[in-house]
Amino acid sequence: MNFSYNWLQSFFKKKLPKPEKLAELLTMHSFEVAEVKKFNRDWILDIDILPNRGPDSFSCLGIAREISTLAGFKYIADKYELKEDKGIKARDFINVEVRDKTACSRYTARVITEVKVGFSPKWMRERLEACGLKPINNIVDVANYVMLETGQPLHAFDGEKLQDRKIIVRFAKEGEKIITLDEERYRLEKEMLVITDAKKPVAIAGIKGGKPPEIDLKTKIVVLESANFNPRVIRRASKRIDLKTDASWRFEHGIDPNLTEFAINRATLLIQEIAGGRIAQGLIDFYPGKVFPKRVKLDLDYVTSLLGIKISHQEIIAILKSLGFKIKHLKSKIIEVEVPTFRLDVSIPEDLIEEIGRIHGYQEIPAQFPVAALIPPKRNLDIFWENLSGGILKEAGFTEAYNYSFISEKDREIFRYSKRELMEVENPTSLDFQYLRPSLIPNLLKNIEKNFRDFAEIKIFELGKIFHHPKTEKKVLSGVMSGEVFYETKGTIDLLLNKLGVSNIWFDEYRPKPGENKLSIWQPKKCAEIKINHEKIGFLGEISPKILDSLKVAIKVSAFDIDFEKLSKLTSEEHEYRPISRFPSAVRDIAILVPREVKVAQVLNKIYDTGKKLVRDVDLFDIYEGGELPAGKKNLAFHIIYQAEDRTMTSEEIDGLQKKIISALEKNRTWQVRQ
Amino acid sequence: MEKNNPPLRIIVPGRVFRREATDASHEINFYHLEGLMIDKDISAANFKAIIQDFYREFFGKPLKIRFIPSFFPFVEPGFQVDISCLNCQGRGCSACQQSGWLEMMGAGMVHPNVLKNSGLNPKFWQGFAFGMGIERLVMMKYKINDIRLFYGGDLRFLKQF
Ligand SMILES: [Zn+2]
Repeated sequence: MNFSYNWLQSFFKKKLPKPEKLAELLTMHSFEVAEVKKFNRDWILDIDILPNRGPDSFSCLGIAREISTLAGFKYIADKYELKEDKGIKARDFINVEVRDKTACSRYTARVITEVKVGFSPKWMRERLEACGLKPINNIVDVANYVMLETGQPLHAFDGEKLQDRKIIVRFAKEGEKIITLDEERYRLEKEMLVITDAKKPVAIAGIKGGKPPEIDLKTKIVVLESANFNPRVIRRASKRIDLKTDASWRFEHGIDPNLTEFAINRATLLIQEIAGGRIAQGLIDFYPGKVFPKRVKLDLDYVTSLLGIKISHQEIIAILKSLGFKIKHLKSKIIEVEVPTFRLDVSIPEDLIEEIGRIHGYQEIPAQFPVAALIPPKRNLDIFWENLSGGILKEAGFTEAYNYSFISEKDREIFRYSKRELMEVENPTSLDFQYLRPSLIPNLLKNIEKNFRDFAEIKIFELGKIFHHPKTEKKVLSGVMSGEVFYETKGTIDLLLNKLGVSNIWFDEYRPKPGENKLSIWQPKKCAEIKINHEKIGFLGEISPKILDSLKVAIKVSAFDIDFEKLSKLTSEEHEYRPISRFPSAVRDIAILVPREVKVAQVLNKIYDTGKKLVRDVDLFDIYEGGELPAGKKNLAFHIIYQAEDRTMTSEEIDGLQKKIISALEKNRTWQVRQ
Repeated sequence: MEKNNPPLRIIVPGRVFRREATDASHEINFYHLEGLMIDKDISAANFKAIIQDFYREFFGKPLKIRFIPSFFPFVEPGFQVDISCLNCQGRGCSACQQSGWLEMMGAGMVHPNVLKNSGLNPKFWQGFAFGMGIERLVMMKYKINDIRLFYGGDLRFLKQF
C-alpha cells in the first residue's frame, strides 16, 4: 500500500527521518517497505501492511502511530470540534434504519447543507494522487481522503436524491438490481448487504456506491455515511460480484467500530472547510453494542522465556504505553494490559510479546542453542529404501526426474484411463493439470519425447506418489529406457532387486484378467509381471507403438513400474546384513554375441582378467538364442560391477575400463559386443 | 504432534500444491519443509541459533540472519527469516534488490491455540515452527534462475545433479 511521506510528516512537528531511513525502521519493527520512490516533491513508501494489522494500519494515522513509537516522536491527534448549526437538525433530513445489527454493527451519518460542489484544493488532490486515487470533486475527494487518513471508508449521498429521506441497511432481495457509480450493472443476491432509500438500492454496502444518489455539481445537501460492516458479509459479497474496492478491502480486514464517529467528524469539518455549507445538528448513530477495550494479563517472565532475551520491566511497560496500551500492575511480575479498541489483532499474551519483541528489535535476540537432551531420531526406513533404490538406479546410468503430479485430459485419452478411476482436480490451473496422475509412466514418456532428439540413450526414473479414485495414493518407482532394451530393462530390475537384497525374483508372462486394460500401454508378448516370492510387485515391458505414436516418440521405449510400498515392505523383511564397502560401486552393462558353443565362463574370465581388482562382480542376466539372431549364435548380457577399495571411481575411469574390456572381448574375431 | 508427547523435534518434507500462474519463481507443485520444536523452555533465540547454523552449513559459507515482523496464523509472534545476500554479502546487488537481504522463510513461536488443538497445555509447553520452500533453497545454492526447470524433465538440466 502506498503512503505519502509528506502526508506522514504532517502528523509530526519534528522532522521525520529521511525516507530511506524511515523505511528501514518500519521494515525492522513493523512492516516491510517494498519500495521507496520519488513522486514530484514527495516520496512514496510502498508498505506491505501485514494482514492482521489491516484494522489499525491501512491508514496514514495507523502508520503515524507506528512511526511515533519507533522514532519516539509525539504525533498530532486532533479532536475535531464541529460547529453544528442549531437551526437545522440532521434527523429532519435523513432517517436511518438498520435491519441487521450483526451485518452492520454501527451506522453513523451526518448532514451538511448548502454545500458548493467543485474541485478540491491542490494539496488534497496531490495527496490523493500520491496514494493512487483519482480526484473527482471536493465532496467525494474528502470521503476518500479521510478513508486514507483514518482507515474508515465513508460514502457521500446527495440527500435530495434519497427517496423519502430514508436510509435502510438490509440484505438484498434475490434479483434486485443496482447500477453503481462507474455505470456497472449488478444483480444482487439475498446474502448481499445493501443500503437502500425508501424504494431502491443506493449502494452495495461497504463495497460501492450506486448511481442514483450520486454527488454532482448541483448537489446542495450531503448525507455522509460512516459505518461498520461485518467483514465476512463484505468478503462474501465482494467475491460473489467479483468487485474489490478500497472500501471493501478495509472492511474485509475488520475495522474498529469506534472509529466511525472520529472519521465522520473529520470529514464533515473538511467538507465545510472546502465546500462551505452548514452542519446540521446531531450525529445520527446506530450503535447497539458498544465495543470496549479488552484486558490481557501478561506474565513478564514469559516475555523473557518466549523471546529468549531479557528486556527490563521498565522497557516493556514503556513500549506498551507508547503503542497506546494502558498498564495496571497486579503483582510484581504480572501486569494487566488494556488494549485500545483499534488493535483488533491483540487478544492474548503472545500478541503483546510480539509487540514488545518487534519494538525492542528482533535483531537484538541472541542466537542461543537450546539446552536439551539429544535423542537420536528413529531410523526412517522409507527414506532408507528410497535413497538406496535411487542410488542403485543412478549407478546403473539412470537420471532421476521429478514430474508434475498431474496429467491432462489428452493424456487420459491416450492412455485410456476411465474418468471413474481418476481423481479429478476441481479447479485446475490449466487443462494440463486436470487429473492427479494415476501412474508415473505418462509423464516419464513425455520426458523421453522431450529428450530423445538430443540424447542417444535415455534412462530416467521417478519415485513418487500416484493417485486413484476414491482418494487412494501410493508410492511407486517407475523408469523408462530408450531403444531396443526390453532385456536390459529386465536386467536393471534384476540388479535393483538383487542389490536391495531380494533373491527370489520372477518375471511372469502377463495374462490379463477380463476387464484389465494394461495391454493398451504395453506391447503384448514383450511385457512381464515382476514377482518376489510369487507376490506381484510390478510390471515391465515395451511400451506399445500406438502410445508412443500418440506422444510423438519416434524410438522404442521400455519401462518398469514397481509398487514401492510393497517392495520396501518385502525388502525390509528379507534384507540381511552384508558388509558395506566404504566407496560406491557402479554398474555398466554389456551384451555380447558369441557362437553358441562358447561357454559363459570363457567370457567371464576374459572380463575378470581385463578388469582385474576393479571389477568386483559380473552377473549374467540374460541368455538368448534364436529369433532374429544369426544362425548358430547366442546373445549374453552381463552387469559388470566396478568398485575400487581405496577410492570412488570416476565415471571416466569406469568408461575407460569398460572400453578396455570390450576391445579385449572383441580380440576374438567371432565375438561381437553389441552397443 | 497429536500422537506424541513433548519434547518434540520434527521435520516434515513433502510435495505441496498451489493454484497460481507459473513463472520463473512460481510453480503449481513444489517441495516444502516444515519443522517444529516443542519443549518447556524453547525460545526465539534458540530458533535463531539453529536456523543460522542450518543456513551456514547448507550454503557452506558464513552468513548473517535477521528476523523481521511477519504474520502467519499458526504462530505468535511471527517472523520472516532473511539471510544476508549470498551474492553480495549484504552490500546490495540486483539479486537482493539492493537490500542486502534474501527472504528465506516464514517462522514463529507456535500459537497457543495450535498447542491446545494438539492436546498440549500451552502453560507448560512452547516452541517454534517454520516452513521453507526447498526449490528456492536449491535455486540459491546452485544459482538456478527458473523454478520450472525442476519439473521440466530436461535431461540437460537433470544430468547436472
Ligand atoms: Zn545482494
